[in-house]
This record gives sequence, structure tokens and C-alpha cells, in this order.
Amino acid sequence: MSTAPDPSTAPDPGTAPDPSTEPEQVPAPEQAAAPVLVDRRAQNRRRNTWIGAAAAGVAAAVVAGVVLTATRGAEPAAAGDDAAGGATSTLTVGLTLEPTNLDIRTTSGVALDQVLIDNVYEGLLSRTADGTVGPGLATEWTVSEDATTYTFTLAAGATFSNGDALTSQDVVWSLDDLVTSEGVDSALLAPVADVTAPDDTTVVITLNAPDPDLEWALSGRAGLVLDADATNDRQTTAIGSGPFLLDSWKQGDSLTLVANPDYWGSAPAGVGTVVFRYLTDTNAAINALDSGDLDVLAPIDAILAEQVTRDDVELVEGDATDKFVLAFNNAVAPLDALRVRQAIRSAIDHPALVEARGGVDALLGGPIAPGDPGYEDLTDLYPHDVAKAKDLLAQAGYADGLDLTLTIPSFYGTTLADLLTSQLAEAGITLTVESVEFSTWLEDVYTNKDYQLSIVDHAESHDFASWADPTYYFAYDNAQVQDLVAQASVATSTDAADDLLAQAARIVSQDAAADWLTNFRTLTAVADSVHGFPTDAINSRLDVTGVTVDQA
Amino acid sequence: MALYVLRRLGLFVLGLLVTSAIVFGVLRVLPGDVAQVIGGVKATPEQIDAIREAYGLDQPLLSQYLHWLGGLVRFDLGDSLLTGTPIGSELAEKLSVTIPLCVLGLSVAILLGVPLGVWSGLRHRRASGVAVSAGAQAVAAVPVLWAGLLLVVLLGKGVGLVPVLPSQGFPRDGWAQPGAALSALILPALTIGIVEGAVILRFVRSAILEALPQEYIRTAAAKGLTRTQAVLRHGLPNASLAVLSVIALQAASLVTGAVLVEALFALPGMGRMLADDVGQRDLVKVQSEVLLLTGLVLLIGLLVDVTHRVIDPRQRRAAA
Repeated sequence: MSTAPDPSTAPDPGTAPDPSTEPEQVPAPEQAAAPVLVDRRAQNRRRNTWIGAAAAGVAAAVVAGVVLTATRGAEPAAAGDDAAGGATSTLTVGLTLEPTNLDIRTTSGVALDQVLIDNVYEGLLSRTADGTVGPGLATEWTVSEDATTYTFTLAAGATFSNGDALTSQDVVWSLDDLVTSEGVDSALLAPVADVTAPDDTTVVITLNAPDPDLEWALSGRAGLVLDADATNDRQTTAIGSGPFLLDSWKQGDSLTLVANPDYWGSAPAGVGTVVFRYLTDTNAAINALDSGDLDVLAPIDAILAEQVTRDDVELVEGDATDKFVLAFNNAVAPLDALRVRQAIRSAIDHPALVEARGGVDALLGGPIAPGDPGYEDLTDLYPHDVAKAKDLLAQAGYADGLDLTLTIPSFYGTTLADLLTSQLAEAGITLTVESVEFSTWLEDVYTNKDYQLSIVDHAESHDFASWADPTYYFAYDNAQVQDLVAQASVATSTDAADDLLAQAARIVSQDAAADWLTNFRTLTAVADSVHGFPTDAINSRLDVTGVTVDQA
Repeated sequence: MALYVLRRLGLFVLGLLVTSAIVFGVLRVLPGDVAQVIGGVKATPEQIDAIREAYGLDQPLLSQYLHWLGGLVRFDLGDSLLTGTPIGSELAEKLSVTIPLCVLGLSVAILLGVPLGVWSGLRHRRASGVAVSAGAQAVAAVPVLWAGLLLVVLLGKGVGLVPVLPSQGFPRDGWAQPGAALSALILPALTIGIVEGAVILRFVRSAILEALPQEYIRTAAAKGLTRTQAVLRHGLPNASLAVLSVIALQAASLVTGAVLVEALFALPGMGRMLADDVGQRDLVKVQSEVLLLTGLVLLIGLLVDVTHRVIDPRQRRAAA
């Protein structure tokens, strides 16, 4: 048993370690003293020395770590070396949902739109947070009298990040390629007959029939302009014409953009580096915000917002077109009965749901969210009325109650499902909640329509047409609604289209084709040093071009 | 000895092969489909079918399995279905977080568990020994996540009572900043180490208690050693065989702990990747990841067996 050096920093495990090194005990000759006479205390001291040393080892490792960290000062672990000055600064944004793949053509989902559109890729047109369409790569455009010919004039001197000039040929190629490859949102270009480029800065789109949604579509994925000559792998890299370049993507961790030094436009990026960190654990996200590793957390869980201890952070509410839909499988009993669906809608106390989710959400009474075409306030159609719900159930033949199964993707947590269970129980409806992985939800509910009730946040804007599609998982088949949507899709003016959609939405809501639990609104935590951070519609688009950060 | 090692290696390879078949089969039973995840909630059934075809998911299962196996033999793990990146390089990047985390965690566990286990075993009749042993029993029952949260509240930067250590994240450029990388792993490693250490402590204590009444201890004491000396010098080597096996088993359960801990501390490691990939049904990737982890556990078993024979002359003689 060799002895340890003096572990002066060791926590004392028993008696103090004896720094005097003792000689090894020589085993006594056999006829000598009995074991009883051996100096036990010396033995104990030695043993304690040995244990103390081990404990010291652990303590030293921790202390070393702490010292290492402390000497690094308050510099966040994720930040690079910044020089002072505007466009050299770094903005770190915490997000929740990470894209599975960067290919804007094949990978669906708003997580990709959020970080790449406007920042890395630019579209023919752009849209503001409230859904208004404005100029993008096309600085101006005209629409023919019959609303079937759109003529766009491109900005002069636009270039891609690889140096290639962005011309009308790239626009033609991008739109054609999207349609032929059947990429994401290619369906939005279905009314397009052809796209031509009479000269380098003009693009003409001809339609088979008027489409009041075309401009909106061109401000999203369907209008993105990619480089016809680029041969990069779009799954992991991105070549666009935007103010930022895609710097790196560490899956499961972060995606980093850097300012494009050769940006062609008049409004270059306000920061040098943007780091989007993907934090799936809400506690880790709040810890990251509190410890200064994040400048922005978008969004922050409204329920947990009060846990934030950092005082230089402002919480900003924002509008969104997200709709938390309680979907009914309209094709199967008992939900094919109107009274049953109406009973469920009457049994739900919507203000209580909003309250339980942190009080930031808005009430929503129908399938179209505020800010989308055709929105009107339908919250008065089904007020909370338990007696009426029981009455409707009795009329439908379920006076003794009704058992239903609710399938919900696990990442929404249990708040909504628990509340619904207790609210519906008051009206005599017993809810069995099945929390499943999203991929299971996609197969069972979305594809196979094997469900009764389901909850999903439909984040997409302009998605009312799914109510006119009887094959969609809502299984809602209403000829009147389908007719109105068909008329709206070829209306010559957006006002006329909005009016038709509003009529259809009212029918869908009256028909209790689903219940709209809440219009999910976001709470964004923004540090005082950050200016110009967008807070509306951030779940679907997050244009950080105009954001600036004060140098600490 | 050489023959024995060869035999064990053969078993190891066979074990891997059986594992690969089981992993492949079990994953195919999961509901859900990567093509649907890629397509999302806008894709038509035709588009989903096109994706399945593009990724070879419409092939018969046996040919999918053989294709994967053929790649494995060439040390090619294939490409992720979702991201299109080579799985091998992604694994390497994630393991650069997970392996140091597990090694640190296990070191903490051994440094805490073994000395304290010996100490409480020797003092099992005294209040101090009983207190340590009871404390370990309590700590071993603490869920890893809860322990992690507690440590964050104590030491987390920006949130803790003594705000010194990063409570989430990992430097973006990884080990290029060794100090920052190491400090990011301290709290997670302590979380794993304290809980696992308590398990090891209880095991070491039992092994010591078992050694105390043995004949050879009495013999050694008769030759003039104190009981404690006898246990340390003769009992501990005997106990070390069993303790080694337990530590090896604990190393396997570390991986499970790592999945939870990486989620809690937002570390971009293997655990989180595995959870994400299972969720998204990137089965080609999951099967390679699981096989790799199983391979690690089998490898630890192999090393423990060989080490046993090296340590224990009785086993060598029995084989001879």
C-alpha cells in the first residue's frame, strides 16, 4: 500500500489524512505479538489517506473544470471570436424544431422555411409577417385584365452566393424544375400554363385560369429562385441569392449562417453570424437563455416564461396562423353524426384551454386563422354549454355517455389532452388519450385515417383547401364547401376569393367538422441588446436580415 | 490463451451477426415510415411512393438487410435517408461528445464507488459505514434526470446557486476549444457518475462483506495482518473479478443514461441522435447506431472475459 501525497484540498472523509508517511508494516514474526497489539490507528490513518486521495482526485477534477470555465469568463460557449462593430456581431437564436434535411425542394415542413427562406434563398416575391405580399427579386409586376398573365421585372444585378448572375432564365428554370420534380409546394403552381423569359430581366407567367393565390404562392417555396447552373448537394448545402450564406449545419445541435459579403441587395445583413440552436428540452432552452448563451428564444413556452431569471430579456407576444385542430374522423361512427360533433364542440371550454397554455393563444372558432384570406370571427358559433352538449348527445342516442379515443403526437405534451379529458367528461364523454410518436401519427392518422379524434397544430397558412378534399385525414366531404373553394381558386380578385372562402369556412365550422382549440400565438424572449427581431409569424418564417445586436 | 481469445473473438462476431438480424427485424415492426416523415403533411400518396422507391424502401426486406450487411463488411454504414450524409462521419462527430461523456462519467463513478464501497464495507458495523451505505442506496434510486436538474440548480451557469458551469450545449467547434468542451461535459458527467457510482459502491461493499468471513482472511490475519489489511490485500483482488463485471455492465447502462443526460443538457451526442432518428424512422441510420452500441457492449464483455483470465490464475489453469 503506497501512500498518497498530501491532499490538502481533499474533503475530509474521516480522520484527517496523516501527511507523515509511515513505513510499510513488516509482518511480525510468528511467535511475536498477537494481531491484537497491532497499531490499528496507524492502519486507519493510512487507509484514510488512501480514500482521501481518491476523493481528492474527484474534487481536483471538478475544481479544474470550474477554474477552466471561470477563466473563460462570461463568454458563451457557442460564440465565436467577435471583433467590435455591427456586421461582425453574432446573434444566437434558440429554436425548437429542426429541419430533417436542408433540401428545400424535397423536405417539407416549416422548420426549413423558417431558417432558409429570406435569409439564404430569395423568392420572386416576398411576404411580410402579416401575410401581405410584396416585391422580392421582382421589384414590380403587372397583372393582365383577365388575371391570367403576370409580368415580373427583376431587380438589376442580382447574384447568387457562388457569383453567378441571377437572370430571368434562372426564374424560369426554378419554377419549371419544381413542377417537373414534383417538389414541395409544386401543387401551388398547378394553374400555371407556362413561364417564359422574353429578356434577362423580365419573366412572364401565363395561367390556365385566374388564381387569386398565385402571388402568395410565389412569396413562398414555389417562388424561390435557385441557380440553374449550380451542382451542389442541396441536402447539406444551399446556394441562394440571400443576404446570408449557409455556413454549417450540425445536426441535432445548430445551424449557422454568416453574412454574405457580396450581397447584391441594398439591405445587407445587420449581423455577421447567426446561430440557430435547436433545443428540444424546454428547461435546457430556458437555462441557455438565462446563462446568456442565447440572445433570443423563439418561441418560449408561455407556461415556463415566468421561470426566466434574466432581467435584460423582454417577452414579446406574436401572431401566428397556427391552428390547434381537434380533428374528427368525419367518416366513421359516431363522429359521422352531426349532433355528436356539435356536442363535443359545445362541451369544450376554450378560454380555459387558452389559460392553461399560458394565456398567450387566441380563441379560434373556425378553420381559418386571423391574417389568412377569408378569416372572420366564428367564436360565437359554439359557446361552452355542457347542458346543451348532454342534450345533443341524448338526441344522438348516447344518453348513457360515449367513449372516444384521442390520438395526439407526443411532442405536444399532455396539457391539452388532459384538459379535454376532464371537460368532455362533464358532458358524459369518456376520452382515452393515446400519445404516439409523430411518425406513428403520420402513418395511423394522417395516411390510414385510422382514428376517432386527433390533435395537431396545423401551422401552415392558406391551407383551407384541405376541407374541400374528402381524401384528407379529416374525411370531410361537403359538396357545397368543395364548390365554394373551387370558385374561390379561380376568382379574379382576392376580395372575391376571400368572400367565398369565408362562406365556406362558416359552413365547415357550423357543421362541426372539427374543433379549433386555439389559435397558437408565440411568445418570443428577446434580449435588450437585440433590435429589430421579428416576432410575428416566426414559426413559418424568420427573416433575420434586419436584426442588429449591440456589442457587449 | 491464444486459442481462447480466438474462440471469444469468433463468438463476438457471431454475436454481432445475430444482433444485426434482430435489430433489423425489430425496427421493421415499428409503425411509421421515413418516407412519410420526409413527405410531411403535404405529400400525396403518389409522392410518398416515389420517395419509398427512391430510397429502396420498396425492396424486399431480405435484400435490404443483405445490402446493409454488405456495406458493414466494407465498413460502409451507408447514407442517412433523411439527411443524405454518410452515417459514418456523423457517428464519429456525435461520438466525440458521447464517448468522452461516458468515460468521464464512468471515471467519476469508479473514483466515488470503489473507495467509498471498500470503506463502508469495512465499517459496516459502525454508524458512519451504515450512513454511507444508506446514502448510496438512496442516490442509486434517484432518477438520472432528477439528479441532473438538481446539479443544474446547484452549479448551472446563469441559473444555479453557484453559477460556474455551463448547464447546456457544447461548443460549436467541438474539441477545438478543449477547455470549453470539457467544462460543458462536467455537469452531465457528474450526473451520470454520481448515480452510477452509488450502484458500484453498493456492489463493492457487498463484495467486501462477502470476503470478510472467508478462510483466507482468517489465515492472513493469523499471519499478523489486521483484518483491514487482509481484506485489502487478499479480499479485494478476489472481489475485483465480480466488481469488474459489474462495472462492465454499468458501462452498458451508461449509454441509456447518456441518452437522457444529453437531452437534458442539450448535448449534440449519440444519445440525442439516436432518439431523433428513431422518432423520424431513419431506420438505416438507427440500425447502424444500435449495432455499433451493441458491438461496444459485446466488446466490453470480451475484454472483461480476457481480463479475468489474465487476472485469475485459476481460470488459466482450469483451461490448460
